[in-house]
Amino acid sequence: MTTVLKRNKWEIWRDVIFALFIREIRTGFNDKLGLGWVIVSPVIFIFVLSFARGRLGGADVHTLPTFTFMAIGILFIQSFLQTMAGSAGAIRKNKALFAFRQVQPISAVFAGALFEVLVKVFVIVGIIIIMYFMGMDLHISNPLLLLACFFLLWIFAVALGLLFGIAELFVKEVGKVRQLFERPMFFISGTFFSLQDIPKEYWHFLDWNPVLHAIELTRFAVRATYGSEGVSLSYLSGIVLVFSFFSLAVYHIAWKQAISR
Amino acid sequence: MIRLENITKYYPSRLGKQYIFKDLSFDIPSGHNIGILGSNGAGKSTLFRLLAGSEYPNKGHIITDLSLSWPVALATGIHPQMTGRENTRFIGKVNGIADIKEYERRVIKFAELGEKFDLPVKSYSSGMRPRLAFACSIGIDFDVYLIDEVTSVGDAKFRRKAKAALLERSEKANVIMVSHEMDEIRQFCDSAIVLHKGELTFYNDLEQGIAQYQAL
Repeated sequence: MTTVLKRNKWEIWRDVIFALFIREIRTGFNDKLGLGWVIVSPVIFIFVLSFARGRLGGADVHTLPTFTFMAIGILFIQSFLQTMAGSAGAIRKNKALFAFRQVQPISAVFAGALFEVLVKVFVIVGIIIIMYFMGMDLHISNPLLLLACFFLLWIFAVALGLLFGIAELFVKEVGKVRQLFERPMFFISGTFFSLQDIPKEYWHFLDWNPVLHAIELTRFAVRATYGSEGVSLSYLSGIVLVFSFFSLAVYHIAWKQAISR
Repeated sequence: MIRLENITKYYPSRLGKQYIFKDLSFDIPSGHNIGILGSNGAGKSTLFRLLAGSEYPNKGHIITDLSLSWPVALATGIHPQMTGRENTRFIGKVNGIADIKEYERRVIKFAELGEKFDLPVKSYSSGMRPRLAFACSIGIDFDVYLIDEVTSVGDAKFRRKAKAALLERSEKANVIMVSHEMDEIRQFCDSAIVLHKGELTFYNDLEQGIAQYQAL
């Protein structure tokens, strides 16, 4: 006999997220290049861009080696964009699974977001190994701040992804708006240039962007001499808190109708 | 018993709200194998998905203390790139099976996929997928199995087997099924619910229900 366990809500959530996560791993690296490509492609990207940045501005950017500077910028912006797209896409991709009453959209979002973290951890470890063998300085002056920035940015991306994912169930075209808004993020989040490179009177065009705060703060966390003028951890955390609350609230009132269309 | 309380369900469309049910209250009695009869677009599948909790009504509640399966259609929840075994384990985990190994064995025995069980589902023939889907649901002890035209694609042998499996369980479990083939309904069911213009009518005698449905 197969007995069905009596589970409480949390246990159901745990099991479903675990099952979806495994499914994601199983189907996410399905082509021949597999996990290797996930690491190789951003590494090549970082190398090419930091070489270009090095030709432009020399070996250091505000006391931070150019390679580290670019690696942080690109890893963070890619983590943000891919986690957001992955979370939003998880809802669409797993739509057929909502036929199981145990599977709710938010479980799919969490599983998708966890999968993105897993991928990024592989990329980060890969880059650290490369930096080690190239004899680069791996010293981090404030590791806690670095971790805080990474996870705040991750939560921010998941919150936005959840919001977009739910909206896309109602109006499919929202996905196109999301892609439109993703494109400039690469250029306005301080990936290539530090906020310090930009004249102060223009800062107000850029400093509303929490992703910029996360990236600049991470560079400051790696090398304290880089400075943290113009960015603040409390602004970043405040924005993340507000968006998480808002998107969970929207999810709570809308998810049942969203999957019933 | 499954109690529908003041169910209102519509789908938005360009022509406004398309109502499937308006303020519907109904009790589906337990202890019957019920065939749901209704013309195309009457809302059979919608009713099914509401019962299973795959969708939610716009207003009202569905109350039951029975455990219902998911709507077992041709390939619900089956990922074509995963193997039969992986899909089985996924469904087992989601449904909270205590002993997944044992569940796997049951599915293997019932689906008769042989070594294809360890190959991706996309390599299966069109008859094999529903067999896997059906085996996954019959492998779990539900009170009510919701079956949406799955058995109609199988061959005679598979149908006999499905029938035997459901009969074996019939003291404790029942089926509610949707099909357009009256032969199939006659094979599995003993009573009927006719769905017409958003109203449900229960017929204790299947033949009476079929006669009523064909007169519509």
